[in-house]
Amino acid sequence: MSEKNPTAYELLFGPAHPGSGNFSVRLKVEGEEVTSARADPGYLHRGFEKLMEYRNRMQNSILSDRVCVFEALNWNLIHAQAVDELTGEDIPEKARYIRVLMAELSRIQSHLIWYGATSMGLGFDTGFKVAFGYRDYILDIFELVTGGRVYPAGYICPGGVRRDLPDSAKDKIRGVLGKTREMLRKCESFEKTTLQYRTKGVGILDRGDALRLGATGPIARASGVSSDVRSDDPYEIYPELDFEIPVRDEGDAYARCIVGRQEIRESIKIVEQVLERMPEGKLDPIKPKLANKIPEGEVYVRNEIARGEAGIYMKSIGEESPYRCKIRGPSLLHMIPVLEHLLKGAQIADVPAIYWSLNICPADMDR
Amino acid sequence: MNEMDLIDGLELEFGVNAEKQRDRRVWLTVEGGALMDVLRYLFDKGLEHLSAISVTDYPGDGVYELTYHLWSYADNFLVTVKTKTSRDKPAIESATPIWGESAQIHERELHELFGVTFKGNMDLTPLFLEEWDGPPPFRKDFDWRKYVNEKYYNKENEREKPYSI
Amino acid sequence: MIKTILELIRNLFKKPMTVRFPHEQIEMPEGFRGEHAYEIDKCISCGLCCKICPNRAIEMIDAPQKDRDKYPKTYPRIDLGKCCFCGFCEDICPTDALKLTKNVYLSTFDSESVIKEPIEK
Repeated sequence: MSEKNPTAYELLFGPAHPGSGNFSVRLKVEGEEVTSARADPGYLHRGFEKLMEYRNRMQNSILSDRVCVFEALNWNLIHAQAVDELTGEDIPEKARYIRVLMAELSRIQSHLIWYGATSMGLGFDTGFKVAFGYRDYILDIFELVTGGRVYPAGYICPGGVRRDLPDSAKDKIRGVLGKTREMLRKCESFEKTTLQYRTKGVGILDRGDALRLGATGPIARASGVSSDVRSDDPYEIYPELDFEIPVRDEGDAYARCIVGRQEIRESIKIVEQVLERMPEGKLDPIKPKLANKIPEGEVYVRNEIARGEAGIYMKSIGEESPYRCKIRGPSLLHMIPVLEHLLKGAQIADVPAIYWSLNICPADMDR
Repeated sequence: MNEMDLIDGLELEFGVNAEKQRDRRVWLTVEGGALMDVLRYLFDKGLEHLSAISVTDYPGDGVYELTYHLWSYADNFLVTVKTKTSRDKPAIESATPIWGESAQIHERELHELFGVTFKGNMDLTPLFLEEWDGPPPFRKDFDWRKYVNEKYYNKENEREKPYSI
Repeated sequence: MIKTILELIRNLFKKPMTVRFPHEQIEMPEGFRGEHAYEIDKCISCGLCCKICPNRAIEMIDAPQKDRDKYPKTYPRIDLGKCCFCGFCEDICPTDALKLTKNVYLSTFDSESVIKEPIEK
């Protein structure tokens, strides 16, 4: 007769847990140590790849900002690039600068959410409130330029951008960058104490595992893989801008948080360069049209969104809607292979630190 | 190694005709039998990162077309490998011996949504859908609008009338 | 440790970030996408707003019986529950009859007021 271990049970770090988002992980636990983890996705599956086959290109760009709401403008940009490469039309120079400006502001606010959510997961409530407070200034810029705080309604669309920048936007953006620097100074002041005690040495992902399991973006850069799509496979006006790529090689949760903070600093540098170099002139707004066919062809575009590498494979047979649009989000690889690998052998009290330091988004995993 | 060297190498070794679409993009089509050899050759040449695997459904020709998108960290270019398999009982060899878990999760998703069987994949359990026993939902002959109308919409509700058309 | 104390002292003398809504409000900029405003005398009943809407929230209906002499064609009825406030109907209208205003206070307990009729009954 076999004896059952009385300290072995199954714990559901599930969708109704206040610290986990729309995603659940089933942990098999013995005492205080996790022996194995099994991810359970699918709470947010909306079927985007099939929905995009029934709508024309402007309606698809409205749909593309709902793939992951935290970085809506970045997904708008990658969808617009896929259609632009199929049609082959010329984008005006000022529109390219505005696209990069909005994408970098969206990256900054996404990293502020990451910082706030990690602090909340570790129990540090002040960091959560301060991060979301500073994010609000960036949402005011989005409201001024695109007309909506959270959903920009397809602002970056195939052919350019939907509206021109208003006149007062540049000064307001410079003010907001000053406030973001203030936030970074506050982050540095509590990094050496609170963050370090909970996250140093926790959840170590080494370089070989990062390449084998398919990690990309800040997660891989904190483990020593020095690659960034903006410099390896450049798009828009990134070849003309000057920025660095922060890389660390410890691979633990502390290194991931530090890489995130350094990326905000690099994005501020990029926004300042864009504001200086933007050409003058007026842009015509892009209006939606009804009968607008996409030429035949197939493309694969890659972009660096805040969480990692995103990809869209689009195939068109000459109609208004694409024949097949496959969306590759970074979180599919981070949430299932990488998370299950890192949680094996961890303590229960470290599970939120590992979970939130991976910067996951259930929406772009399930699509 | 740049794109033209790889294209020449592939022509020499396997006799396939690869073409360069633009800077940093190479596309090629292979037969089903040669797929694993070509993928292993490309992996040994430095294309270590598997970006995505995708399936496109062509009901008129009766085929499924698979595309493998591979990226090289060392030489900075992307190679896409396309191959066809039949639509009735789609089965193909898995890429997990070469790329490990990152190929396994893509194949698990495609097995659930398109019905493709990958021989050699250890874990093909359903990923997103729960208690689904109908045909694979992303095929072109599955009418999802009719399914949603019958199962979820209420015909007496005035506000749901535009969606029943 | 010193950096933390310096931050503390700096924060003591600053104004808090909170905006005390509804006593104070941040002003909304021009171009904000809120509720629709429809002018029936400019409308030419082309039906483009109905065809471009991504969520099928606009339906072209006939005028009520008493107004049929003055308004013989079909006019848009907007369902605010389905609308995603994208602004395509405003961009595509050839005569500027449909515009988006800055009104965002649309929550209600009354389910009849969610649908905007073109002509008051």
